[in-house]
Amino acid sequence: MKIQQGFSLVRIWVYVFFGTLLFLVTWIWTYQIDSTLGISAFANGWILFGILVFLSLFSARKRLPFLPLASSSRWFLLHVVCGFLALFLFWLHIGGMWSKGFYGQVITILFYITSISGVVGLFIEKVYPRQLTRSGVEVIYERIPMEIAEIREEVESLILKCTEETGSSTLAEHYLETLRRYFQRPRFFINNIFGSHLPQHWVRQQCMILERFLNEKEREYLDKVYALAEKKRKIDFHYTLQTLLKTWLLVHIPLAGAVMAMVIWHLILIMVFFV
Amino acid sequence: MAITTQVRPQRWDQPFGLFMTELDVDRLLTIPEIAAIEESKFPSHCSLRGILKNDARIVKYSAGDIVIREGDYGNSAFLVLDGSLKVVLFPGLPGQMLGRRTIQKKTFWQALKQLWSRSKIPEVRDVKRYGLHAMVREAEDLGASHVFLQDVPAILDKNKTASLGKGALFGELAALGRTPRTATIFAESDIELLEIRWQGLREFRKYDQGWRRLIDQRYRTNALNAHLRATSIFSHLDDKDLQEVADATLFETYGKFDWHLTYNKLQSQDKIHGIKDEPIIANQGDYSDGILLVRAGFARVSIDRGNGQQTLTYLGTGDFYGADELFRVWQGDPNVGMRVTITALGYAEMLRVPSKIVEKHLFAYWSSGRDGFRQANSQSSFESRRLQDFIDRTLTDGALLEWAVEERFINGTQTMLINLDRCVRCDDCVQACSATHGGNPRFVRHGKTFGNWMVANACMHCADPVCMIGCPTGAIHRSMSGGMVIINDDTCIGCETCANSCPYSNIRMVSINDEAGQLITDPQNQKPILKATKCDLCADQISGPACVFACPHDAVSRVDFRKIEIDENSTGF
Repeated sequence: MKIQQGFSLVRIWVYVFFGTLLFLVTWIWTYQIDSTLGISAFANGWILFGILVFLSLFSARKRLPFLPLASSSRWFLLHVVCGFLALFLFWLHIGGMWSKGFYGQVITILFYITSISGVVGLFIEKVYPRQLTRSGVEVIYERIPMEIAEIREEVESLILKCTEETGSSTLAEHYLETLRRYFQRPRFFINNIFGSHLPQHWVRQQCMILERFLNEKEREYLDKVYALAEKKRKIDFHYTLQTLLKTWLLVHIPLAGAVMAMVIWHLILIMVFFV
Repeated sequence: MAITTQVRPQRWDQPFGLFMTELDVDRLLTIPEIAAIEESKFPSHCSLRGILKNDARIVKYSAGDIVIREGDYGNSAFLVLDGSLKVVLFPGLPGQMLGRRTIQKKTFWQALKQLWSRSKIPEVRDVKRYGLHAMVREAEDLGASHVFLQDVPAILDKNKTASLGKGALFGELAALGRTPRTATIFAESDIELLEIRWQGLREFRKYDQGWRRLIDQRYRTNALNAHLRATSIFSHLDDKDLQEVADATLFETYGKFDWHLTYNKLQSQDKIHGIKDEPIIANQGDYSDGILLVRAGFARVSIDRGNGQQTLTYLGTGDFYGADELFRVWQGDPNVGMRVTITALGYAEMLRVPSKIVEKHLFAYWSSGRDGFRQANSQSSFESRRLQDFIDRTLTDGALLEWAVEERFINGTQTMLINLDRCVRCDDCVQACSATHGGNPRFVRHGKTFGNWMVANACMHCADPVCMIGCPTGAIHRSMSGGMVIINDDTCIGCETCANSCPYSNIRMVSINDEAGQLITDPQNQKPILKATKCDLCADQISGPACVFACPHDAVSRVDFRKIEIDENSTGF
């Protein structure tokens, strides 16, 4: 049994080949219609509309896992290929990169934002999973608040124990002044998006600056707190990346819905007033 | 600091039958089958009386009660003390009567209906469906439940049956070999049986010649020939030669039959010690004295590497090893020892075909050139090349398999393996599972990880399904059609035996609700009714396992670890 490390190369090339072929056929057809002084926008417009409908169906397919409608991975690959194809057909349809007329320009803007969100989504879906794996922890998104609460409880009980055992409040004071905020909820959201090392540096720094004020016993507690802070940092990293992996669709899908709605209205207007 | 002490746990701290008395043992010793056993042959630490008192129990069944079901796994054998039983031979009882679930693939419209028919309330059940409760009755002696057949005369009319009377022994092959029961046996009249768990049975076989002869003879007659016939290297033999091989074959047992009970403890141990503690079947460098065939369980094939052992592969039921070394010795190579070490992974039941027999029936055949399998140069043999491929693998290449063996994931035939480098944590797999199971997901996208691989907490549909041992109603069973392990919700009585036995924690007990969302409780004690739930591999779905089908990134696969290989033609995309 073969385990896929990625999509099959053959499958990708077949889809790209047929996507390119469809575009070329449409392009030649458009050229022919234009050369006979016909309105090519009707021909490539219908093909573009068909592609947009197909792109929208992916979302519906996800809600029907029990029907034998080909695997979701095939749909995904086709969705990506057709997404790029739609962009080229869109340019062919509007005869450039920017549309004429207010309504057309609104569609263009929405279409571009949808396309960009799709490309960004594709990019993070291919880059972030590896980064999550390399973080060394694996956590279910919905459990993150619970995990952080557990860590916080553990840290606070360690600090209480340290205070009771050593009679020194240095660690407790530092916790209240600085670390408490860190352990409250996920932090360093923006830094984590770009894979910055700042969170790691910050955690290490906060523990290092304290070391010289602690005795050996207290340092043992600090080491444990540091280990928990590191664990929390990794969970924060998961929180950021998983949040983005889940939320980019909240931009892409509603915008795609808006594009579809405007395209259908555009189609109705064309059919009523031009045909 | 105070040192915590405890009396060292002993083998019989937890006897099989809680109510066995010395009087019962005295009575058993008068029964001809037991009286014939030479008590003096048993060592003092494992006396016959001790075995009878601790590894056996007297059980009673009423007329019509099912004692064992075809397809069930069990770890005990039965000796009839009183009464008579019927063995259902042909055509066999329908699955429904045995508490099995009838799997019928949904039609397209039934599949589509799941879109709107799933309930928002978790674990909703229609209580009226649970008609089988009428077929379950409490056993007087054990507090256990027995399923009984309602219309015995009709069953006798429709099936060819055989009778078992006083003194008959049954269930011993399945108990010792961890193989499914081959027939359903039910009580014809009120009966009394001596149920002997496998440990006791093993001692009987070990110390008493009569029992050994009986058990071995039965195995040779009923199962060994079929096993040898199914083994590729013996497939050319005619019946007479095969019988000669069977007669000479030795039976060996390694490890603990109930390995799953200590699995979690083993997991916390140092891995190197884990391997070193495994019972050795054959040692690297030793002289090979026969071909080893795995009859049940698993065996690790490893070589010395540095200060440890590198796992090359593992052997499962039906696999064999050792023909290559023997063949080279037979060809005159004087310096051939075992190239690998073979150890039992938890538990392994082995067959050893002695070298003399192998030389006579196999090597003579190979050297005659009639079989393309073996050339004159043994290095070019398939077995040798395959082994060399394993040896040539780098530690990195073999690391995933090494881990899978360590964690015993090799037991799975449909292990859910997630490639975390591709998984975008979208939970489409969980949602698809939920959508195909009435709104209740049957796995958790969480589990042990190794590098970028995760084995999720989903039923692995094990080759050695320890969860099936001890189910009182046969609700958890292996499907005859697809081989997957499934639970019949209608006949599950929520006893938690399967969930407690599963070493991988892949069976979950859930409380059930009615359609109004009210918890369904037992009227006698107001406790919630529990049901065992787990992945059924979407047995009734036309699309196959929904989790795999729904993953947009091809990150989820259901695998058998020995058969997997990384697809080099796939991209990182």
